[in-house]
Amino acid sequence: MRPDGTLPSRVIDLNRCYAHHSAADVLKHALTDPQVGRTALVSSFGAESVVLLHMVAVANPATPILFLDTEMLFPETLDYQQSVAERLGLTDVRIIRPDPEEAAVRDPQGLLHRTDTDACCALRKTAPLHEALKGFDAWITGRKRYQGGRRTDLEFFEAELRVRIKINPLTHWAPGDVQEYMLNNRLPRHPLVAQGYPSIGCAPCTSKVAKGEDPRAGRWRGSEKEECGIHFVNGKVVRGPLPAPVEEPQKEDIMATEDTVIVTDTGFGPEDWAHGFATPNTLPATAGAALAVDLSPDADLSVLDGRLESIDMIRIDFPSFSDGRGFTLARRLRLKGFHGRLRAKGHVIADQYAMARRSGFDEVEIAAELARRQTEDQWLARANWKAHDYQARLRA
Amino acid sequence: MYHYTEFDEAFVRERVAQFRAQVERRIDGSLTEDEFRPLRLMNGLYLQLHAYMLRVAIPYGTLNSRQMRQLALIADRWDKGYGHFTTRQNIQYNWPKLQDVPDMLDALADVGMHAIQTSGNTIRNVTADHFAGAAGDEIADPRPVAELIRQWSTDHPEFQFLPRKFKIAVTGSPNDRAVTKAHDIGLRMVRNEVGVGGFEVIVGGGLGRTPMIGEVIRDFLPQEDLLPYLEAIVSVYNLLGRRDNKYKARIKITVSETGIEEFRARVEDQFEQLRGEFGGADQELLARIEQSFAAPEFRTATFENFNAARLANPAFRAFTDTNLASHRAEGYCIVTVSLKAHGATPGDATSDQMRVLADLAETYGHDELRISHEQNVILPHVHKSDLPKVYATLREAGLATANVGLISDIIACPGMDYCALATARSIPIAQEIATRFDELKLEHEIGPLKIKISGCINACGHHHVGHIGILGLDRAGVENYQITLGGDHTETAVIGERAGPGFPADEIVPAIERLVGAYLENREDAGETFLAAYRRLGPDPFKAALYPEKETADAA
Repeated sequence: MRPDGTLPSRVIDLNRCYAHHSAADVLKHALTDPQVGRTALVSSFGAESVVLLHMVAVANPATPILFLDTEMLFPETLDYQQSVAERLGLTDVRIIRPDPEEAAVRDPQGLLHRTDTDACCALRKTAPLHEALKGFDAWITGRKRYQGGRRTDLEFFEAELRVRIKINPLTHWAPGDVQEYMLNNRLPRHPLVAQGYPSIGCAPCTSKVAKGEDPRAGRWRGSEKEECGIHFVNGKVVRGPLPAPVEEPQKEDIMATEDTVIVTDTGFGPEDWAHGFATPNTLPATAGAALAVDLSPDADLSVLDGRLESIDMIRIDFPSFSDGRGFTLARRLRLKGFHGRLRAKGHVIADQYAMARRSGFDEVEIAAELARRQTEDQWLARANWKAHDYQARLRA
Repeated sequence: MYHYTEFDEAFVRERVAQFRAQVERRIDGSLTEDEFRPLRLMNGLYLQLHAYMLRVAIPYGTLNSRQMRQLALIADRWDKGYGHFTTRQNIQYNWPKLQDVPDMLDALADVGMHAIQTSGNTIRNVTADHFAGAAGDEIADPRPVAELIRQWSTDHPEFQFLPRKFKIAVTGSPNDRAVTKAHDIGLRMVRNEVGVGGFEVIVGGGLGRTPMIGEVIRDFLPQEDLLPYLEAIVSVYNLLGRRDNKYKARIKITVSETGIEEFRARVEDQFEQLRGEFGGADQELLARIEQSFAAPEFRTATFENFNAARLANPAFRAFTDTNLASHRAEGYCIVTVSLKAHGATPGDATSDQMRVLADLAETYGHDELRISHEQNVILPHVHKSDLPKVYATLREAGLATANVGLISDIIACPGMDYCALATARSIPIAQEIATRFDELKLEHEIGPLKIKISGCINACGHHHVGHIGILGLDRAGVENYQITLGGDHTETAVIGERAGPGFPADEIVPAIERLVGAYLENREDAGETFLAAYRRLGPDPFKAALYPEKETADAA
């Protein structure tokens, strides 16, 4: 049975309905509630995964379990996966692996994680997961509010992008709850926990955590990266690739689930740049990986001299729509020969779309709030920016 | 005259449709008031003291009889039956309703006019010598270039949200009637030593609260480099101009803070990048525009009746003494119609007067009219034999005031009677001065004298460059008028000097009278103008006349 109603309204209703339920109750109901639909549990079989696996096994052991084998995992994890699945009697564990052709092209030596962790996560986690989740209406995660960062206001149910519900039964759990649950239910532990790994991902990007450190401090240690890219908290993708939409998107859903909207000549779309943004001061020394640069309106463009060829995207900030410096910066970048993507970001209004396009921008990134106020039709009204253009006539 | 091409026509129609939608989107909340504000401003719509004000562009001050009649119709249908011609060759309607404005813009589009970029932080309506194409002293007609700049600057995607407004003026004559040195960019058409036409480019002039005379950034710019050079200047300004303080945001501050040398270096650098972007289409277009400004076919005829009328009618003689300028064609003259009747609001014209002027232009003036920055209307091509008839018609319409260039031909901003920014009234002061000197019958005796009045520090009335400038301020809730002396708006531009403490409203007219008395007493002969006498004598005798008590006190 397929759920009815738009995704954001279903999520609001579900959160209201299950507001005061326990984690196990939420999970049990989610697996049977027609408003949730076809549901899978995505599990890394990591340090704490066994809790949700156990809850699912109790509720319905035939629930599909998606296990992401990135082919970079610890051997201990692979062993642990098999033993836990057997012990809990899970009948539908599906092992998800990266597309071998993609991996051969993009990471032939298996060393991509050294130069570009985001790209590696995209190849080995996000894209395969995205592929595997096709055909599901919802998936279950183990994220919790106390983990902090972008998770502090996590609800039981979230609208992810515009295609799927994400269920977080453990969101309200306190730090001790997991241990207590495992103890009470005599669940097997991941062998690496005892060796000092409270959070376990892929072997190259997981290190031990010292006493007193954040349990997730060992993930992608030494980089700013916090999320692998399969999680979009409150719909916000800050790091990590975003899967392409599974179904034809419903535009109102974009605004309900995304913090930002990308405007092009064809209207509204989601963020599709998955590789983060550097600043002129943090440009990597060597070219190679996908590279995007954020510029402020007072940026000195000469710092990019000689680098423009290696930059895929430049994003120029508009702190206020009445500050027109960005238009001149865009034009100058084009005059300097920049051929990559050029994006205006911030307070740009629909009435400025034609100006942005004529100045050399390809697209505009606006806040969802602005997109709700100035609807897609108001932007599309200026998609005819090539018409009535005095300057183009004069420059011919 | 330039007539809209299909492209221009389609552009203004599209723009009206956009504005219509913007008004609706403001009402339905899609646009916040902050967002709507610059959009309405760039379409000429201000919010004034009492109501909205629509400022319509009259590019380079040129219009034909059909356009003038449409301005009259708009005044009747959507306003109170009159319009106000401004110091930037625009016309303002002071009482439109917001919901009528799109219809007014459509009515303008019907005759090839618009209100685009008459306000806002954009490149404003381009102004030019109001005698262009007629003056005897002209090197070249500046209007084709002004039209080219109009097209280039219209909806320029980079320059709709500049740090501040941006004004460009062009003159084709060495006698600068376009005040080019008080503009953000002033262009003087010149010829180099081998006779090739180009421009002297002046940048960073302006009046306002920090008056500055512009500096030459390029002494000779070949004609074909004009657009890339302008684009380079405005581009440098767009990035460099201050956005933290609106009173320091004009390019004059940018140039003075950056230094002309550094500013020039940045412009030249950017110019090199932009030069190749213009592949010659602009020059082809300019050539087509020039054809549309070809001089009318002037006729050859005798004009004994003109001389006879001068002998027979002293009023006609006075009018022809003051209100005519020399024309390049034999037997023709340029007629300035004063909108400064003694006691009237400077620059105002009723719809009936507009229609009379349109009829005169159509019958006797090769269908051309001009608006001057001195807020008068000009019939640029009138044959002298037609002047007695033209004069009779003007007289009937109350338009034959013989005071052009004289003390009552006053530039005044709208002041506190209309403007939300004003700190004092301007129009009533202008009216009182004009009425007083008319009573004294001294006007023609005094000769050329430019009084310019601004009702606030923003200086829309150009008081800094008046021979006598009057600036109305608010001193603790009381209007107070400061006097500046010795300003000059021509090619020898000078910012006037402040004479001393200001005067309350009821003492300003007597103060001007004393000032003029000092001039008449001290001038060498009737041929020495007020400005010449001031330059020879310095401010002392004038200050002494302005502040007699003070001098007595000092002496005692």
